[in-house]
Amino acid sequence: MISFELAEPKTLNEAIALLDAEDPEVRPISGGTALMLMMKSGVFRPSRLVSLQKVEPDYSRIERGSNGSLRIGALANLSQIEHSDEVRRVAPVIEKTMRHLSNVRVRNVARLGGNLAHGDPHMDLPPVLSSLGAKAIVAGPSGQREIMIEELFGGYYETVLKRDELITFVDVPPQAGWSSTYLKCTTRSADDWPALGIACSLRIENGTIGDVRLMISAATEKLTRLVSTEKVLRGQKVNEATFERAAESALTEAEVIGDSRGSASYKSELVRVYVRRALRQAGLGVTQS
Amino acid sequence: MTIHNPMPAGQVGRSLPRLEARAKVTGRADYVHNMRLPGMLIAKVARSTVAHGRIVSIDTSAALQVEGVFAVYTGEDIRKIIPEPYYGPAFHDQPILALGKVRHVGEPVAVALARDAHVAEQAAQLVEVVYEELPAVFDEVEAMDSKAIVHDVLKPAGTFPDLKHLHGKKNTNIALDFHLKRGDVEGAFASAAHVFEHEFHTQQVMHTPLEPMVSVGEPTRDGLIIHTASQSPSFVRIEISRLLGWPENKVQVKVPHLGGGFGAKLYIKLEALVAALALMTKRPVKWSLTMEEQFYTISKHATTFRIKSAVDAAGKITGRRCDVYWNGGAYADIGPRVTQKSGFTAPGPYDIDNVAIESYSLYTNRPPAGALRGFGIPQLVWAYESHTDLIARELNIDPVEFRRKNILREGRPQATGTAMKDAAIDLVLEKVAERMNWSAPFNRGTGTVLRGRGVGIGFKASISPTTSVAFVNIYADGSCALYMSTVDMGQGSDTAMAQIVAEVLRVQAENVRVIHPDTDVTPYDMATLGSRSTFHMGNAVKLAAEDAKQKLEAMARSVGVPDGSNLETREIFKKKYGMQAGNVMGVGSFIPSYKSPDSVTGMSDNITPFWMIGGTGVEIEVDTETGHVKLTKLINVADMGRPLNPHIVETQLSGAAIMQLGFTMFENMEFDAGQVTNASFADYKIPGIHDIPPDIENHIVLAEQGGGPFGAKGVGESATFGVSPAIANAIHDAVGIRLTDLPLTAESVLRGIRLKAGNPIGD
Repeated sequence: MISFELAEPKTLNEAIALLDAEDPEVRPISGGTALMLMMKSGVFRPSRLVSLQKVEPDYSRIERGSNGSLRIGALANLSQIEHSDEVRRVAPVIEKTMRHLSNVRVRNVARLGGNLAHGDPHMDLPPVLSSLGAKAIVAGPSGQREIMIEELFGGYYETVLKRDELITFVDVPPQAGWSSTYLKCTTRSADDWPALGIACSLRIENGTIGDVRLMISAATEKLTRLVSTEKVLRGQKVNEATFERAAESALTEAEVIGDSRGSASYKSELVRVYVRRALRQAGLGVTQS
Repeated sequence: MTIHNPMPAGQVGRSLPRLEARAKVTGRADYVHNMRLPGMLIAKVARSTVAHGRIVSIDTSAALQVEGVFAVYTGEDIRKIIPEPYYGPAFHDQPILALGKVRHVGEPVAVALARDAHVAEQAAQLVEVVYEELPAVFDEVEAMDSKAIVHDVLKPAGTFPDLKHLHGKKNTNIALDFHLKRGDVEGAFASAAHVFEHEFHTQQVMHTPLEPMVSVGEPTRDGLIIHTASQSPSFVRIEISRLLGWPENKVQVKVPHLGGGFGAKLYIKLEALVAALALMTKRPVKWSLTMEEQFYTISKHATTFRIKSAVDAAGKITGRRCDVYWNGGAYADIGPRVTQKSGFTAPGPYDIDNVAIESYSLYTNRPPAGALRGFGIPQLVWAYESHTDLIARELNIDPVEFRRKNILREGRPQATGTAMKDAAIDLVLEKVAERMNWSAPFNRGTGTVLRGRGVGIGFKASISPTTSVAFVNIYADGSCALYMSTVDMGQGSDTAMAQIVAEVLRVQAENVRVIHPDTDVTPYDMATLGSRSTFHMGNAVKLAAEDAKQKLEAMARSVGVPDGSNLETREIFKKKYGMQAGNVMGVGSFIPSYKSPDSVTGMSDNITPFWMIGGTGVEIEVDTETGHVKLTKLINVADMGRPLNPHIVETQLSGAAIMQLGFTMFENMEFDAGQVTNASFADYKIPGIHDIPPDIENHIVLAEQGGGPFGAKGVGESATFGVSPAIANAIHDAVGIRLTDLPLTAESVLRGIRLKAGNPIGD
C-alpha cells in the first residue's frame, strides 16, 4: 500500500548494496529536505528509502590537505560546512554563499551530497563548487569514480549518477592565487529560489586573467560552464572593457529558459548584468550585488 | 508614534502584551489541527482537474479497494442527507461536493475517509472522474459578455436585500452590478480643462494563513459539534442549521486559536462537508487542507479598474467615472458584498461633485475570491492613487499638494452623499508628508541606482449593518470573564476587549478571562472581519461591562452597602447569598444605524458607522540594470481613533503593510487553463524577513471616533491601503515609468525602463 521500507545501513558498502540500479522507487536519503517535499506532494512514492544517517562518520568529516586542498564528506550538513574553519580558510566564498542559502533550519539538516545529487538547477552550491574546480568522488558496486561538479548534471533535475551510486566526498583543489565570487539573483522574495546564479573564479597574474572558471545556474536547464566566455576572458587585461565583452559573450552562450521568476529574454538581460558584476567583484574586489 | 493618554483606570490605552502570547510561544495554545477525537476519521478530497465541465461519471471502485478506507462519497451521497447542498453567504451557489458540473480546477468532487490520512489521500487520488469539458472564462472583463456561463441560474441567498433582484437570472456571469450616480459626470467631462483616463489591473493572490483551514465535525446524541478554525462561528452555526433544516440550538460551533485568517476563514468553508460526513458516518470527521489546497479554496479578487477624471484649470477634480470589474471566480462567496461595499468608495477620498460608478462582481472559472484584509479596498486604492499621481505629474503639480487641493474634508459629502465624520484624511496625508520630509530636497541617486518616493492614501467604510453581542460575567469572588464570539486570529482582540472590560470594572486587564467562541456559551457576533470588531464588539463589550457594573451596584444597594463604599465585590456577594455564590451577568448588544444605498442612484445619507483611513509613504531604490526595486523607507499612518492598545495597533499597521508589500511586489497566482501552476510555498513567495524595509515607521494620528468604545475604531486593514500605489508612484518618480499592473516585478520595471530608453527587451 503506501508503506515503504526504511533501511538504515551501518556502512556505505551496505548502503550501496541496498540501492537498486534499475528501480526508481529505491532511493538514498540523507537530510531529506528535498525528498520529503517530493513525497508530501506525491511526486515521489518510494518502495525503499536507504538512510545514510548511520554510515561511517568518515563521510561527514571536513579535512584540509597540507597543500591547501579541501575534502568535504558528502554527509556533512550545510551548517557544518558554513561554520568550518577549514572551509573558510580555503574557500571563503562557500561560507558567504551559505548565509543566503535557504534558512538555518534547512542548513542544519540538508547534506552536501544530497544538495548535489538532487540535480536541481536552482541550488547554490553546484555553481560555487564547480567554479572552485571541485570534483565529486562517487562510489558504486564496481568501485569509485571522480566527476567534475559541472559534469555531474545531465539535465533538469537529472544527474549522471547511476541509481546505485553515492557521492562520498567533494574534493576542492587548492585555491591559492584564485579569487572567487557567487552572485545569486532572486526576482521575487529575497528567499526565493534564484532566477539566476553566477559563480566565477579568476586567477589574476600581473593585471591579466591567467585562468577563469565561469558557471551559470538556475536560469539554465542545468548548471553550465560558460566555456566560450572563459576563452574571451583568458589572457585579457582585468578591466571593464574585458568584463563587458565577457558579459556580451555570456548572453549569447547561455541557453536561458523562462519560468515564473522571469521570461527568458529578461533573464538574458540579467545574465549580462550579473556576469559583469561577478567578474568585477572577483577581479577588482568591487562589492556590488 | 503618537500616543494618547490612557483612560482613567489606566487599562484602555495601555500597551499590554497579548494575553495569549505565553501560551502560543510555549506551544500550549489549542488549535483545531492538534485535535484528535476517539474514532476520528480523516477526510481527503478528490478535486476537479478541469476548469469547467460536466461530470459524465465518477468511479469510486478503485478508491474503495484501498485497504483501510472507511468510505468514499460523492455529491449525490451528500444529497441523501442534505437535499439542497448549496452554501454561501451571498449566494447559495457552492455545492458541498460537485453536482453535475465543475466550475474551477480544484473543486471538491469526491471525498475519501479513513482513520489514516495517508490512506484517505491515496484513495482520493484513485477516484476516477470523466468530464465533458465546457468552454471556460477566466478574465473578468471577458466574463461580462462571455458565451461561457459559469452558473446556469443565479441563486442569491436572500440574506442581503440588495441582491434580491438577481434571483433566478439566467445567461449571465454578473453576480452583482452596483451603480452609483451623483451629479452630472458627463457634463463635467464636457466642460473640463483636462480629462485623464487610465486602466489598472490587480492579480489574484491568496491569504496564505500559516495555519491552513481545518474543521472537525463531531456527531453528538442529538446534534452536532463543529470544531473549526473559523472567523465566523455564529454564521457557521446559522448556515449549518439551514442546510440540515435544524434549529440553531442543535449545532454547536467551537473555535480555539487561529493561526491567521485574513478573511480566508470567513463565513463557511470546510464546515459543511465535515458536518455532512459526521452525520453520514456517525463518527468525528476531520478535514484539514494542505497549504497547496488553500489556493483552490479562497483568494483575493483580481480586478480591472477603468478610471476617468475631469479636472478644471485650477487643478480641482470636477468629475470621476469608475468602472470596476471584480473577478469573483467560480463561487460568489462574499464577492458581491465586496463589489458593493467597497465599490462605492472607488472614486477615493476626494471631494468630487460629479461621480459615476459601475462595479461588477463576475463569475469566472477560477478558484473563488472573497475578502482579504481590506475587503476590496487595496485593489481600488491601487488604481485611484496611481491615477491621482499621474494627474498631478501631468499637470505639474506636486502630488501631495494636488491631494491637499482635492481631499475629502470633514463634513463634505462622499460619493454616496454621506457626510464625512470622524475621518481624519487630511491629518493622515499631512502626517505622511511630514514623516517623509516631503518639502525638503530629495537625493535622487546616481549611476545605476536611482531613488524615488511616493505616497498613497485610501479609505474604507465599515461594513454595515452588523450586530455584536457580549456577556460579562462577574463571579462571586469578584473575578470576571468575558464571553464573546470575536475570534482572536492573531490581531489581539482578546487583549483589547479585556482592556475594555477592565477599564469599566476598574480591574487589571490581565485578570479578565476571555472565553473563546463556543456558540453554546458565547453570544452572537456577525463575524471577525473588515476591522469591525473593535467598534462593534468593543461597544457590545463596553455595554456588557457597564451593565454588569450597574447590576453589581444595584446588588450592593439591595444589601445595604452605601454608594461609594470600597467594600470588595466578594463581600457584596456574601452579603447577598450568605456564602461565595451567585453571578452578576452583564449583557451588551450593539448594532449601529445604517441606511442602505438607493438601488438606482447608490445614494445614502448614512452609508457607514465609521471610516478607516490609511496612508503610506515610501522611499525606494531602483537598480536600472535589473529592474530590482528596494524599499528603503516605509511610513504607515492611520486614523483609527483612540488606540485601545498602542503596541498591538503598531504591529497591526506594520503587519498589514508588509502583507500588502507581498501583494505589491511579487505574490501572484499563475494559471494555465485554470490550474494554479505555482500552488506551493516553493513557487508562490510571500515576504520574508529580508524583504522588510530597514526603516519602518507606524503612526496613529491624534483623532477620536465618535460612538466608538473609548473613541476607538478598527485598524486591521488600514495600513494595506496605500502601499501598492505609493510604490508604483515612487518607481515613476525614480525612473519615469508607470506600471499599471500588479505585481510590480523587477522584470516589468526593467521592461518599462528599456522601452522608455528606446531599447526594448524582446518577448
